Amino acid sequence: MSTPPIIGARIPQLGAREKVTGQAVYTDDMKLPGMLYGAILRSPHAHARIKRIDTSKARALPGVKDVVTGDDTLKVAYGNWRLVPDIQDEYVLAVDKVRYVGDEVAAVCALDADTARRACELIEVEYEVLPAVFSVEEALAEGAPTIRAEKPGNLSLTREIEYGGVDEAFTRAEYVREDTFRVPTVSHAYLEPCSALAAPDEGGRVTLWTSTQTPYIVQVLLAKTLGLPENHVRVIKPQVGGGFGGKMELRTWEFCAAFMALRTGRPVKFTLTRADELAYGRRRHAMVLRSKIGLTRDGVILAKDLDVLLDSGGYNAMGATATFLVGNFGAMLYRIPAYRYLGRYVYTNNPPASAMRGFGAPQALFAGECQLNMVAEELGIDPIELRIRNAMQAGDSVPGVATARTCGFREALEKVRDASGWVEKRARKRPGKGIGVAGCSFISGGVFNWFDTKYHFTSCEVRVFEDGTAHLLTMASDIGQGSDTVLRQILAAELGIDIHKIRLTAGDTAVTPKADLGTWGSRVTLMAGNAVLDAARKIKEMLAGVLFMEYDLNQIHDVAFAGDRVFVRAKPKRGMDFGECVYKALRGRRGEPLTAFGYYTPRDKGLVTPAFSFGAQVIEVEVDEDTGVVSVEQVHTAHDSGVPINTMAVEGQLEGSIHMGLGYALSEELITVEGRVRNATFLDYRIPAAEDMPPSASYEIVTRDPEGPYGAKEAGEGLVSPTAPAIAEAIWDAVGVRSDTLPITPQRVLEGLGKL
Amino acid sequence: MTAPLSFDVHRPRALTEALDLLDEYGATARVIAGGTDLLPKLRNGRLSPEHLVSLGRVGELDGIEETGDGALVIGAATRLFDVQRHPLVRKRLPALHHACSVMATVQIRNMGTVAGNLANGSPCADTSAPLLVYGATLEVARRDGHREIPVGAFHKGPGSVDLASGELIVAIRVPPVPAGSGSAYQRISARSRVDMAAAGVAGLVTLDGDGRVAEARIGLSAVSPTPTRCPEAESLLTGQVPDAPLLERAAREAAEEAKPIDDVRATAAYRRHVVFVMANRVLTTCVARASAGAGGGTP
Repeated sequence: MSTPPIIGARIPQLGAREKVTGQAVYTDDMKLPGMLYGAILRSPHAHARIKRIDTSKARALPGVKDVVTGDDTLKVAYGNWRLVPDIQDEYVLAVDKVRYVGDEVAAVCALDADTARRACELIEVEYEVLPAVFSVEEALAEGAPTIRAEKPGNLSLTREIEYGGVDEAFTRAEYVREDTFRVPTVSHAYLEPCSALAAPDEGGRVTLWTSTQTPYIVQVLLAKTLGLPENHVRVIKPQVGGGFGGKMELRTWEFCAAFMALRTGRPVKFTLTRADELAYGRRRHAMVLRSKIGLTRDGVILAKDLDVLLDSGGYNAMGATATFLVGNFGAMLYRIPAYRYLGRYVYTNNPPASAMRGFGAPQALFAGECQLNMVAEELGIDPIELRIRNAMQAGDSVPGVATARTCGFREALEKVRDASGWVEKRARKRPGKGIGVAGCSFISGGVFNWFDTKYHFTSCEVRVFEDGTAHLLTMASDIGQGSDTVLRQILAAELGIDIHKIRLTAGDTAVTPKADLGTWGSRVTLMAGNAVLDAARKIKEMLAGVLFMEYDLNQIHDVAFAGDRVFVRAKPKRGMDFGECVYKALRGRRGEPLTAFGYYTPRDKGLVTPAFSFGAQVIEVEVDEDTGVVSVEQVHTAHDSGVPINTMAVEGQLEGSIHMGLGYALSEELITVEGRVRNATFLDYRIPAAEDMPPSASYEIVTRDPEGPYGAKEAGEGLVSPTAPAIAEAIWDAVGVRSDTLPITPQRVLEGLGKL
Repeated sequence: MTAPLSFDVHRPRALTEALDLLDEYGATARVIAGGTDLLPKLRNGRLSPEHLVSLGRVGELDGIEETGDGALVIGAATRLFDVQRHPLVRKRLPALHHACSVMATVQIRNMGTVAGNLANGSPCADTSAPLLVYGATLEVARRDGHREIPVGAFHKGPGSVDLASGELIVAIRVPPVPAGSGSAYQRISARSRVDMAAAGVAGLVTLDGDGRVAEARIGLSAVSPTPTRCPEAESLLTGQVPDAPLLERAAREAAEEAKPIDDVRATAAYRRHVVFVMANRVLTTCVARASAGAGGGTP
């Protein structure tokens, strides 16, 4: 059966016009009658005990309607890792202690935003300032102050992996090297700062509109922290202006909006500023990665030993997953017969880090891919050839993790080598010019059920109508990446109807079927896509019978759905309009609507993911040896994301990944001194500008993954990883400077050249 | 914390009307032209004026005129983009032309003005170093008077300029560049093509008939509390044949004269180093342009 043409088509996002013209409604656009404005009082100290809070002056300020502190709440510890309650270490408002500069202490709602902010300033908090630590090394040192009483010594979490006899394998290695890499904390820098609006609903229920990637997770944790049944809490995800992992937990303003809406009987809205986001928001983990690798003289990897210290900040957030995934990504891409990983998640008094695009892969692959490039140099083997010799192939298993049933890594390496003119450019040195390579791999959704959901991982409902239209209801969350379009493409392909005939309702926990874990881990296309397939196929079963009745078909016939028609596959003239078919089915069901639920849960797919993407990137740079300024001149990317459902959306992900990777490589870092972010503006936190974007050529390596809908795998995160190590290698190729630290600023280039 | 944004906006149609308003409201008023520096300060609460006096409708402040003596007078409301694309600026003032081409962003250059760039008082104002080497003066008016300030005397410190309440920059007067001179500007942001400058260097070199340096001027921005000249480096060049070793020595001297600081955009050491690199490049370009007799015309 051939793939319908809408699969792989270049379709601009449905709803793009509304976004571009400003019609699309984001949370902060919404106003409800009687709405109050919220503001949050944050800790000015990195580590302190709260001795006393006096809110009387704030309450007395005219226009103030409510003031809450931790004492007003149920003091329930919460977090995304419901599976391991010990990891749930956060409170919606500080209880007894604050653990980072910006920790939320109290909240106010008032008739206007200025009054709410002024009221925050009137809240008197008496702190006993405690000694604080700001690096993983300090935090683990003997006698370091304890940040969380349950974890003396500040080691929050540990994950170990070991297989293949690592020590013995190193003794056989003819070449061994060990390097330490440091990567900084960076911001998601999503366009839309967090915003949440809550309104009281009848019977003590509450509705929350929030800029989130995970409405279901927010619903469950909000119900828990409010002490309400889950069904009392309705969470709606409006349009979301990006998340990149930074909007996948219950956050204080979501709780406070709902809590104060219930207390005051009025809607309450909180919206963060960019400065809030940069200074206190979630961020990517800073890490120190010590990597040891052993190979034969011919460049065959025998063993790898990876030791990683992750800077948690004051709370765990999604850190357990980060600790888990860095270890997995450390063993990806190549056949590594013996591997040892020790990941230690360490509390500090920095703002908490959490999930961010690539989640562990950008760090693990910066270390791993840079190190492999150093190995290539020392062994005198071309870096692409070295990768090809060790590349994973389809069918390879990573012990305890997963099996890559499809793998286009080798083809991707060959493609970027040939398309970039790699061999000639590496051989012919030009002053200041360099070319580098790195690979990447990523999961297509997570398998490990840390949230401990009792429902399917993803669900949807499909309804069809006699006017030839359909309605797709899903809790899958389009946060700008385009899944609302991709899921409709899949449904349009299955039902054979025009995509514009599909209405979509998404991300409303009271309306869309339970449940969906949200948008993270590049899970949506594969998982929610499979749920759509499941529901669509059930609908088709309901409709097929109409044709068998109508044409008195022999049992051996099949029914096809295409071109808004339903017809006998072998005799296409025998058929009818899709709507007519629905009408007849509806008659036959004596009025019962045609609707079907679809589900997907990855089962028996190891611990990590049902499918892996792969890719390779070659980057050309020019380095000014006098100023240290690096200009990225050309990017070549080859990418195995299975069968792309929407080629334009995949290209968009690639361009966005290059943008983010470029900043990670060269300019982005939340400069944090004693827990305080010094560059909490877009003027001083440097994401690349449009003018910094290099020309880019991309090539799809199409594999057909048996687990993905129409063979699709992930496209949103894997590509964020290769850019930094490829640029690092290109800089070395250009001027002979290796950087084991990000970002590779002009300062670091000049230091490497001995000029500073 | 942020104060409520509440102010009156006045939109005079004539300079005299604008000066009357500034006189009336004194320190409670701020002038707004492009607003690209002012609006962020209003929003983050660093400024909370009661009155904004807009120059948007004061037509006589918009535009560039050549005077009888060959000076160019840039009206205070002239957009950076209009300065950058003006044929005489392009031909005679390539350092200023370049500054107006690369500073900030396209959107900001379409709104912002040279006068605003200076009045903002930032040591890293891109137009300041070129205007320093061109010997520009600011024409400042108030209701009952008028004065001229050399651009080198205008900046008093970070965020602080020689402009009293009731006063308005009316124009920037750039005198004719000497015959046989060449000028250039370079800036570096080090992090992005769109960024505030971490360091900026402008140069103007005038050669005599023998090919010796009759006069050299070097202006620095972003590497001292105010935009500044480099008298030691300039005197090293004066009367000498500007060969490569000499230019390099002068560039090193200019780097020594800089007083850079460490901040989140760059370290002091990096800034000092790139002052040397850019001064060397700028001086080399200036000499080449002067030798070509193009009067410093843009490439």
